[in-house]
Amino acid sequence: MTAQSFGDSLKNKFGDKLLEVEAAGVDQLYVRIVPECLVEVADYLYNDEGCRFVINSGTDRREHNGKFLITHFFAQDEENLYIAVHAEVDGNDPRIDSITPVVPAANWSEREARDMVGVAPEGHPDPRRLVLADDWPEDLYPLRTDVEHGIKPESCPDVAMPLVEPPEGASVVPIGPYFPVLEEPAYFRIFVEGETVVGADYRGFYNHRGVEKLGCSVLTYNQIPFMAERICGICGFVHSCSYCQAVERAAGIEVPERAEYVRTIMLEVERVQSHLLWLGIAGHIIGFDTVLMQTWRMREPLMWLCERITGNRKTYGMNLIGGVRRDITADVHGDITDVLAKIEKEWRALYDAIPGDPTLMARLKGTGELPEEKARELAVAGPTARGSGVAIDVRVDHPYAAYDRLDVKKCVYDSCDNVARVLVRLDETLDAIDIIRQALDDMPDGPIMAEIGEEIPAGLEAMSAVEAPRGEVFHWVLTGEENRPERWRVRAPTYANLQAVPTMVTGDALADVPIDVGSFDPCFSCTERMEVTDLKSGIIRVYTQDEVLALRQSK
Amino acid sequence: MGFFKNLCNKAFPKSLWVYHTNTGACNGCDIEVIDVLTPYYDVERFGIKLVGSPRHADVLLVCGPVTRQIVPALKRLYEAVPAPKLVIAIGSCASGGGIWFDSYNIVGGADTILPVDYYIPGCPPRPEAILHGVAVALGLAEKKVAREHIKQLIDRNESISVEDDTGAEEVVPGDEVPAELPTSK
Ligand code: SF4
Repeated sequence: MTAQSFGDSLKNKFGDKLLEVEAAGVDQLYVRIVPECLVEVADYLYNDEGCRFVINSGTDRREHNGKFLITHFFAQDEENLYIAVHAEVDGNDPRIDSITPVVPAANWSEREARDMVGVAPEGHPDPRRLVLADDWPEDLYPLRTDVEHGIKPESCPDVAMPLVEPPEGASVVPIGPYFPVLEEPAYFRIFVEGETVVGADYRGFYNHRGVEKLGCSVLTYNQIPFMAERICGICGFVHSCSYCQAVERAAGIEVPERAEYVRTIMLEVERVQSHLLWLGIAGHIIGFDTVLMQTWRMREPLMWLCERITGNRKTYGMNLIGGVRRDITADVHGDITDVLAKIEKEWRALYDAIPGDPTLMARLKGTGELPEEKARELAVAGPTARGSGVAIDVRVDHPYAAYDRLDVKKCVYDSCDNVARVLVRLDETLDAIDIIRQALDDMPDGPIMAEIGEEIPAGLEAMSAVEAPRGEVFHWVLTGEENRPERWRVRAPTYANLQAVPTMVTGDALADVPIDVGSFDPCFSCTERMEVTDLKSGIIRVYTQDEVLALRQSK
Repeated sequence: MGFFKNLCNKAFPKSLWVYHTNTGACNGCDIEVIDVLTPYYDVERFGIKLVGSPRHADVLLVCGPVTRQIVPALKRLYEAVPAPKLVIAIGSCASGGGIWFDSYNIVGGADTILPVDYYIPGCPPRPEAILHGVAVALGLAEKKVAREHIKQLIDRNESISVEDDTGAEEVVPGDEVPAELPTSK
């Protein structure tokens, strides 16, 4: 089904409730609806049509029409379709019905829209603050246009986030904000009964840096890619690429084919690098440091290669609107194939070793379970989804850059546990190496940068998604005045995946929590300590890092 | 130079145990920190070891701009490190806020909250740069910054809110620091 025909079917179904239906190409659909029927439309898209919820976004458009624009994004992966549902709400009384009761995956993003632009989701089951610091004033919304990007309100030190009460009879294990497996500091409250986890609560966003605000208020179109790349220091290229694609699409800029191939190659190089890194960290989490040392040793020549190609080991600085800044010239092809050949050889050895290692398997098998229907409900992405039998991969479902001309496999496993997520990544790395080889062979000659004549007009919009090592990265750009977007919305895959943590850890032993969390997105901030409060007796027991480590390594 | 060397040798005659913290970083710096621990760079040969608890650490490695939400946790973290302690800011963000410096949710570089002893700029700094910084801290390599720079550090340290008992903030450039050093190589 094309965007046009899907739009028509929506029009038939909802009639006057749809104010505007606009298809952009065959794969993007924009509809504007009466805000009152948002829940109905979302329910239909999500529950009847089986669309995946991606993210929502709040935009302050009071300067244009006195309203706030709330946009919910959905994807129909089988049909290669992205759908944006716009609803405009009154600027003086910003409220909208919450869709979380019918679309559970919208939970966080609705809370975020409340925090950032102040549009309250009515009927939201958990309307606590999500993004802003605990001591941030209640009625100051940083993404509103009348709020300065550099505003630093006074701190009021005594406020803390309201906590979710544990289930009757359960104890609470607070973990964090410094925690061994997450990239960012994060605070989990794990509810346990004895050793078994029965639930969890989460407070994150310690790393909120105001990326979207800076992009929409101080930076220009071509400065944003460099900031976008610093959203994530492991897979930043996906962000700059996705952002550039969104702007290019909105403005109708044709990217030269060679630039698309360069982007594809760098995206896959980044995937190999990231999966190597991840496997090492997963090894470290379960106390198998040899894996860490070996995979990082394997990874290092790839970092040198990136430096040779892009001038930097990690933040590549390659993407600009219209193409890339550096070519992958013939003289590095040899280097690339050499490095890849070496990694492939060593990776195959690992590939054979890991599934046969009884200790590893004992730790990974059957832990961190995320059943397929839960994975769909929570709209998780990337290897986390593919490990639960959800066969989605943006490279195949919504091809971008040069992927439609290359042979890309979807690596899917359906055991829904930590093993599946390891195996998905093991396969994917080999597949990525293969894609790079294909792309190097097929790469056409030609320019790497489009000629961009005029300024990008305001008021255009486009969506773009990229398959990052951790899942789908999604960007939406609404073009604006002064050579910068009016709104730039970013969704990283972890945003969706983190919301699955309570499901994944429930039923597992406490000692499995780190690898459960680590199985979709790891890092090296280290545990402060854990505090176990036995509610029944009121006794507080403090575990040190070493005890916790011993606990999880002895398992 | 001499002063730092003496300080380090006196305070940390044996191996340095480091605790790494992310205060809002994009992970670029964090990953390079891990990189120096892995076989190619192998910082453990200098006796440097990453530990899992601030209570075991001599040195705090700070990566990333300090976000508003992390401030209380960061202060507690610093207090948990036993004295004498060193703080090394790794990356442009930790050194001064980086590209986020004027964002609403960013307080600034690490030195807005903690007394920082060494700065290793770069976005992210190369593993070699991190190694060099640590080698300077250990007195194994020559420092490459000018007197002015050290003075700046001291001026900033005076406005620190967290109490510091390492004595590190009383650092005064010794006479052996030549008047005209190149700012960097
Ligand atoms: S200095 Fe650069 S790499 Fe390091 S945390 Fe900041 S943006 Fe990331």
